[in-house]
Amino acid sequence: MSANVKGVFAHLDCLLTGIDRLEKAGFKDMIVAAPLPRHEIEEAIYKGEPSPVRWWTLCGGILGGSLGFILSSLTALDWPMAIPGGKPLVAIPPYIVIVFECTVLFGGIATLLGMLYYCRIPTKSMELEVCDPRFSDDHFGLVLKDVDESRREEAATILSGAGAIEVTPQPEGDAADEPTEDKEVADVE
Amino acid sequence: MSNLTYGQVTKDIIRPLFKPSLLHGLALVTAIACLSVGAYCWKLQLEQGLGVAGYEPPVMWGVYITTFVFWVGIGHAGTLISAILFLFRARWRTGVYRASEAMTIFAVLTAGLFPILHAGRCWYAYWLFPYPNQRQLWPNFKSPLVWDVFAISTYLTISAIFFYIGLIPDMAATRDKVKGFGKRVYGALCLGWRGTDNQWRHYMAAYGFFAALCTPLVISVHSVVSWDFAMSSTPGWHSTIFPPYFVAGAIFSGCAMVLTLLIPMRSLFKWEDYLTIWHFERLAQLCLLTGAILTYAYATEYFIAWYSDNPYEWGTFIYRPTGDYAWAFWLMVSCNCIFPLALWFKKVRTSLKWLFIISLIINVGMWFERFNIIATSLAHMFDPGAWVYYLPNRIEMGILVGSFGWFFMWFLLFVKVMPSVAIAEIKEGVRPPLKADEVTT
Repeated sequence: MSANVKGVFAHLDCLLTGIDRLEKAGFKDMIVAAPLPRHEIEEAIYKGEPSPVRWWTLCGGILGGSLGFILSSLTALDWPMAIPGGKPLVAIPPYIVIVFECTVLFGGIATLLGMLYYCRIPTKSMELEVCDPRFSDDHFGLVLKDVDESRREEAATILSGAGAIEVTPQPEGDAADEPTEDKEVADVE
Repeated sequence: MSNLTYGQVTKDIIRPLFKPSLLHGLALVTAIACLSVGAYCWKLQLEQGLGVAGYEPPVMWGVYITTFVFWVGIGHAGTLISAILFLFRARWRTGVYRASEAMTIFAVLTAGLFPILHAGRCWYAYWLFPYPNQRQLWPNFKSPLVWDVFAISTYLTISAIFFYIGLIPDMAATRDKVKGFGKRVYGALCLGWRGTDNQWRHYMAAYGFFAALCTPLVISVHSVVSWDFAMSSTPGWHSTIFPPYFVAGAIFSGCAMVLTLLIPMRSLFKWEDYLTIWHFERLAQLCLLTGAILTYAYATEYFIAWYSDNPYEWGTFIYRPTGDYAWAFWLMVSCNCIFPLALWFKKVRTSLKWLFIISLIINVGMWFERFNIIATSLAHMFDPGAWVYYLPNRIEMGILVGSFGWFFMWFLLFVKVMPSVAIAEIKEGVRPPLKADEVTT
């Protein structure tokens, strides 16, 4: 039977050590909750892989710009007024303003939708395992999802050893060692 | 800020929420009273028509358009602080950006009312937007007024989204601190945010893109507003310097408004640790810079008018400082070019009392700048037979007062229900809790 293992950290360096040790031990499916964005956490988990939200922004921007140009030109062609002086019906310079505004509008809305999609919000029930008021205040949380019963003790021991102030389920014999004595404690600027 | 802890930051910023205070209550009542004056004047205008608004042909743009440009301009500093300074990684923005962004939203919301008020038959305001209709008519996309509709709507939408996503993690922090009904409300408003690694990763990417989208947007919006004037052939308006001149003026007035709002807020909420003199000095320096650009633009306008050798253009520029509106012109010059020079002195920049006074002076000066541009040019156009002396009447002044009431009402409500300093971003500036530190000490 598999279940979650949760560790609560009061210190960022201990959390990073915990992530590192768990990864080395082969644990993959983890969720880290933090009250603020820290590049060290993102780097430790995603190794610099950029978020796909950027593609949403690009596509939204291109779509918006195209729609802006199509809207302004087709409406001008829909009622072709005779303009003296040989001025074109579909005039590029004035339409650039509309194209620009639509690019930003659609790009922004697409970015918002992309962010909501990947963050999996809005939701009522998402990731209940990291529901802990401390994680939006001054603590960090690390949850290992669906850990097999045979490895649960090992995960709890790693978390506790890295310096978690609270581990659920509690490791047997409380194997917590002082993390700072360990040379592997992560460097944080 | 270095001595703060994460827990302290959350506590300090959430503490003033919902706590009634006499000063805040009085300010809110005053704002609502001002709004009521404006609402009453609008009611009279709706009943009796635009004639009550004191327009005097050919001055068909008066206080409403002046105030529209004033409020759009105010909004610009908020986006500058929240988006442009984010991209420049200016550390001082963290403490002030949330309140500035709120100011942007409420200022643009206020500005948006004025074209509707000015249009008279406000129930037809939706005609401004392109939609298929039985009249088979479309807006003229070559008109700067239609560009303006697009620019202001986009600006309001994108700024509001940017503002809201900035609030999400802080609303989650508030959710975890309050109890009962408030918990449910903030829980819904923060959309179920948990601050997981996955969420922060996409959130920060999206935030960066929003900052990148808002940066050219903010410059475009006031450029488009300036084209409302510059695209016409009216003397005093038809100038290529208008877009940069308007953008600099907008940021100047907006920074002054940020000072006007934050200085009382700092003492009211006891946020001396978060809004430090250092923050205010940076804002004062920004005022000094944009004020200098603005003064230079005023001088350049005169040079262009003289060098153009166009008698109508030069006539308008001579009329401004010497004609009927000389009082408005010199008020503008003294408020925007002379008084802000005091900011060169560090003693003034670091004195909240003086900063507050100068910020009020700049606010007055910037309103009169727009009045000066609009009224003098229209009242003194090509045909001397049509020259008039336009002054706002009671209805227009009532609506102007109402707009301040509307703006301050929203701002005062906001500061009591939402964290007005960005909790997560302040934490980014605080040294993280490290076990290594504890061992060393």
